Amino acid sequence: MIKLVKIEKQRYILFKVIKDDSTYFEEKTFLNSIWQSIWKYFGMKGANKVGLWLLELNLENNLGIIRCSNKTKEEIITALTFIKEIDNKRVIFSPIKTSGTIKGLKK
Amino acid sequence: MDDLDEIKTKLDFCEKLGIKNLILEPKNNKKTISLDLKMKLKALTRINLYYRITLKPSGLKELKNMIRNYNNFKDILSVETLDKDTHIYAAKDSRVDILSFSEQKSLKTLSRGVISLVKQSGSYIEFSLAPIMIANKSIQSKNFRTLYRSLKLVRNLNVNYIINGNFEDIYDFRHPRALISICYSLLDLPLYEAKKAFKEYHLNLLKRVQGRHNNNIIEAGIRIIKENDKIG
Repeated sequence: MIKLVKIEKQRYILFKVIKDDSTYFEEKTFLNSIWQSIWKYFGMKGANKVGLWLLELNLENNLGIIRCSNKTKEEIITALTFIKEIDNKRVIFSPIKTSGTIKGLKK
Repeated sequence: MDDLDEIKTKLDFCEKLGIKNLILEPKNNKKTISLDLKMKLKALTRINLYYRITLKPSGLKELKNMIRNYNNFKDILSVETLDKDTHIYAAKDSRVDILSFSEQKSLKTLSRGVISLVKQSGSYIEFSLAPIMIANKSIQSKNFRTLYRSLKLVRNLNVNYIINGNFEDIYDFRHPRALISICYSLLDLPLYEAKKAFKEYHLNLLKRVQGRHNNNIIEAGIRIIKENDKIG
């Protein structure tokens, strides 16, 4: 008998990075910050459901794209919202658009 | 409101965030915002600007004295106080559009009686998300809890309410979409309701303020219709 497994849907979140022109940080630092924020506000129970993946972080255009589970989209936006500093430099990550496909984001 | 450069910086920052509508409030206990200043501010930005004045009386007598000047006020009028009697008076007064509970201290004075009066007068209760953006974890959790309880109380009693950012520092500013996510994921508001608290309820508030100057509108929901008027 074949068992049907429901594949978890994903969401892509396009966000804007607002910072001083001189501020620079690496992808790894950004990922650490977002995981810290997820841990702080949602704990282990929330963190194991998010399925977070950083697809792009372009600090020249000040844009980034992350992928997460469909069900935890709001939690990821919340975690992004609460990040105020990276390496003691002030920064804001503001969501622009969410979509089920990357193609949808680029429209 | 006197420092136009500071306002310009803040407005530019809001534009960067993608904010389209903004309610501005003067500091330093200014009583009104002149038309001249409004025109200057309008020229600074593409954002739709609306204005409000917040009265912060310490007692009932002070509120009565203050509110005398706002009989035909064209902007949004809100009252923020810690005194219970003043809350009750402000909740009954039709000149007051918003009863503000944006500070944590004032949230503790929110009672069922005041909420009921606000419901009867058709005004709004305001909450602010500024206290939950602070760094100290224990105070932040406490503030979350107070806000959560107050929101639950207001929702159960089915009264008009709005949620604002009320952030002072520009790096605390956030797009309403981000704040909606916070309300949904941390304050247990359903998503549709969180969206309403940041959009629809504000529009209704602005309609109320505009309706105040329309002689044909007697009170919320009651309008004099002339023979040739379209209904709807």
